Amino acid sequence: MKNSLLLLPLLLLGVWGFAQSKTGSILLKNGTVLTVTKGTLQNTDVLIVNGKFTQIGKNIVAPAGTKVVDVTGKYVMPGIIDAHSHIAIDAVNEGTAPVTSEVWVGDALDPLDISIYRALAGGITSVHTMHGSANAIGGQCETIKLRYGAYNPEDLRMEGAPRTIKFALGENPMRSHGEGRGIQPRTRMGVEQVIRKAFADARDYDAAWAKYNAEKAANPRALQPVYNRRLETVADILKGNIIVHCHSYRADEIYMLLNVCRDFGVKKLCFQHVNEGFKVAPELAAFGAGASVFADWWAYKFEVYYSTAYNAAILTRNGVVTSINSDDAELMRHLYHEAAKSQHFGGLSDDEALALITINPAKQLGVENRIGSIEVGKEGDVAVFDQHPLSVYAIPQLTIVDGIIRFDRQNDKKDMRLEVDPAQPIPAFNMENYEHVDRCMQGTEDLWYYLFENEKH
Amino acid sequence: MKMRSWIFFFLLNLGAAGLWAQPANPGYKPVTQTYALKNATVVVKPGQTLQMATVIIRDGLIQAVGTNLPIPGDAKVIAADSMFVYAGFIDGLSYAGIPQSRPTAAAGQAGPPQPGQQAQRQANAANPTNEQAGIQPEIKARNVISPQEKSLEDLRKLGFTAAHVVPQGRMLPGSGALFLLTGNTADEMLIRDHTSLFATLNGARGVYPSTVIGVMSKFRELYKQAEQAKMQEAMFAANPAGMAKPANNKSLQAFYPVLDKKLPVYFAVDDIRSFHRVLTLQQELGFPIVMAGLKQGWYVADMIKSKNIPVLLSVDLPKAKETPKPGEKKEGEAAPKVDPEKEQLEARAAEEMKKLESQAAVFAGKGIAFGFATYNGKPAELRDNLRRMIKNGLTEDQALSALTTTPAAMMGMTQALGTVEKGKMANLVVSDKPYFAEKSNVRMVFVQGNLFEYEAPKAAPAAGPARTAGGTPAASVGGKWDYAIDAQGDAYTGVLTISDNAGAISGSWSSNQIPGNNAMINPVLKGNQLTFSSQINMQGQDMTLEFDLQIQGGSFTGKISIPQVGTFDIKGSRQGGPNGLE
Repeated sequence: MKNSLLLLPLLLLGVWGFAQSKTGSILLKNGTVLTVTKGTLQNTDVLIVNGKFTQIGKNIVAPAGTKVVDVTGKYVMPGIIDAHSHIAIDAVNEGTAPVTSEVWVGDALDPLDISIYRALAGGITSVHTMHGSANAIGGQCETIKLRYGAYNPEDLRMEGAPRTIKFALGENPMRSHGEGRGIQPRTRMGVEQVIRKAFADARDYDAAWAKYNAEKAANPRALQPVYNRRLETVADILKGNIIVHCHSYRADEIYMLLNVCRDFGVKKLCFQHVNEGFKVAPELAAFGAGASVFADWWAYKFEVYYSTAYNAAILTRNGVVTSINSDDAELMRHLYHEAAKSQHFGGLSDDEALALITINPAKQLGVENRIGSIEVGKEGDVAVFDQHPLSVYAIPQLTIVDGIIRFDRQNDKKDMRLEVDPAQPIPAFNMENYEHVDRCMQGTEDLWYYLFENEKH
Repeated sequence: MKMRSWIFFFLLNLGAAGLWAQPANPGYKPVTQTYALKNATVVVKPGQTLQMATVIIRDGLIQAVGTNLPIPGDAKVIAADSMFVYAGFIDGLSYAGIPQSRPTAAAGQAGPPQPGQQAQRQANAANPTNEQAGIQPEIKARNVISPQEKSLEDLRKLGFTAAHVVPQGRMLPGSGALFLLTGNTADEMLIRDHTSLFATLNGARGVYPSTVIGVMSKFRELYKQAEQAKMQEAMFAANPAGMAKPANNKSLQAFYPVLDKKLPVYFAVDDIRSFHRVLTLQQELGFPIVMAGLKQGWYVADMIKSKNIPVLLSVDLPKAKETPKPGEKKEGEAAPKVDPEKEQLEARAAEEMKKLESQAAVFAGKGIAFGFATYNGKPAELRDNLRRMIKNGLTEDQALSALTTTPAAMMGMTQALGTVEKGKMANLVVSDKPYFAEKSNVRMVFVQGNLFEYEAPKAAPAAGPARTAGGTPAASVGGKWDYAIDAQGDAYTGVLTISDNAGAISGSWSSNQIPGNNAMINPVLKGNQLTFSSQINMQGQDMTLEFDLQIQGGSFTGKISIPQVGTFDIKGSRQGGPNGLE
């Protein structure tokens, strides 16, 4: 008891130490550097100063006072980016309407979520934390950096990252609204129409404001259109200010959304899950749409049966910017294994496989100029492994975000929670009480009741 | 996946008012409205105490305070030797007097499901009425408060004489007002009307906006729409010719004084997350703010100080864990195995508890003026919690400021409330020991010169080992108990499973409405009283239920309280008859 009490302040200091500053400087000496975009460099040093890569080469001398870590025999790769996750947010679905473009999970960031630290322990440094898939047009998402230790949600945001928004096709929005509430969309056709109507309404809304703005100089008594955040956000999509990330499985629907976006001039588009993407890979490539897939996860509902583990490789070979995501706080911890599967199925090269979890998700999030590869000028996000990260034996050793060590396997404290409820019993975690939770539809559980429980009565 | 429980829908609509009905006033006019509290220790205000002093009260006001005062002939003289007199406390944000459910159904809730109604509600989830959506900023506390509510007396007997009361609900429950804690009508109680717009980040249940992200967006939208509507109304008022009539949306109109920065938004902030979210809204929109009911505030104390954000701290604290007494090990029993991981986790929990208990001291230490809010706390625990805060570094003067002068200033009522001085309203609390001392009892409360007297509790029978009554050890409470919650004629039932291992209580409960077994958290058995809490998750919202059961032989009665929902009766009996042991 005494020992642990003595340990405690040190533990806390460790955590709080993180929170002090958002960027740091560090020199990694003599590692195998997998830059992803500029090849693999043996026995190379990487210097990060004030959160940015400033030098990559041999025998780099760090500015005085810089922390130096010897990574001889280890592998240094860009911090892993997960393009589809629901960690670090307190609300996933505003599942009450088929279109909820106005909501934004960035309003519900939870910097105290322990999942952030667990992700760091898997080499993840940035996450696209998303609204769920209950609605045809869901809420806006947020790209965060895993600056674990901060208590202020603002410290989690990747400042300046482009806005993104969640769309969803198929069974989820049909189930939530059509079957659950008896409103549109009840079918896949309905989903298309919900999206088309939202786009058309937003165009009208924008036109009404344009008319007002043109009129107000001449007529001071001109009335503004009623402020509508939902339509304003969709109008921002039409203007190209927001990247669409669309939950999708079936090829026919994917192709449908390509057509809808063409009709309305929406160009920034990335499909999520996209299990049948391999069927429309050339069409996706021609449009310039991205695809963020699972390595080999499917058959969890009817529309996800027609799938293949070759999906990532086929999409890549067809020239589609492809990433592998987790959509899950556990899977997230070994995305490097998921990327490696694309070598087993489809024979991608090391760099192609690593790109699936680094530079490609960065492109899909519009931050490829800042993260996703080890290049001078980019942000100092790094994952260090003891083996090649695509090896099944690889274990993450060190995870660095903006030049600050956020995870260190050699110094991995036992209790990394930022928040403890003293009234809670001491938590016990084992396989028996572990419950896998698919957060994609979180907040819509009541609909299951209406759908299935009610019918029995 | 069976995540559905109507119980909350029903509970929300339980009419609790009748149960608690109790006259605020005995109905007889007092013989005199003049009192002389003689020879008391008078804490005039934080930091200033008069010994052997007298307080003269006449017609609801403090007429004089001092030593050697002449006693008016018509005064009822109260020998207050050895007693302590303080200014009556002011609750910075309270639901006191607000009925647990309004006849028209609490905001965000359309009432118990009727056939067809639920389908209608579901279909309308995207476009609910403002009432269903919990958006009713136009509701005024003075139109909702009920002088008969027991919650007023619960607060008064702790020494509170005034409370800033807000309607209870979801996103925008209404506007608050400052009330005296006595009076036969809301008008009699009212001190100052329209003191706040009250807001929370709690979404409506099952309709838009149902989540914190929905609420954040909706708040921004309403705010901007209110600006538009206000502008249009001004234009129409100036010259209606050729103009469409304004929509006169009363919910938007309720925002106008906030837009003019004349009315502060009291925003419920339960933890550090909600604090930051509310701050985000405030910085975007620029309305005057009071952060109300803050917990975990130590992370942002410096920010609060530098930005000069008005703040009310919560009086709520997690229940203190009973430290097991050493030497309770039974003969012949092996020493319990030391689990270092468990010890470390317990140490961490203790550390966090310390931080929660020290919040007020941290704020006071930084020189931040703060009041207290009770809306997210429990009156029954308030005095214990204040003592725990004082044990952790809050001085008694600082605690008193938070209960008197600071909230008086926040309400703009410094000239009438907050100190024991001539000309102030005769709002006083009189205790038999210093108020914050252990075992001190409130013996008198004056609210605007009206006297409420309280008996000191009778000395409890010598506290023997917890569960012995009359020397006979009570039977084990272990076993399975059927329970029922009576909700307007609809019974909600389930099984409470208690394991009583020589006084070490643990267990769980199941329900016909909530899937799975819910663990008892911190069960404490004292005599016949079993208390525990439990956490359930409803639509992504964690809710803590507090159980308080009185066990008599093979049956029990008691209460369940659910924050922001209410307190309800529960009863149960042991499975297999009154004496059936498992």
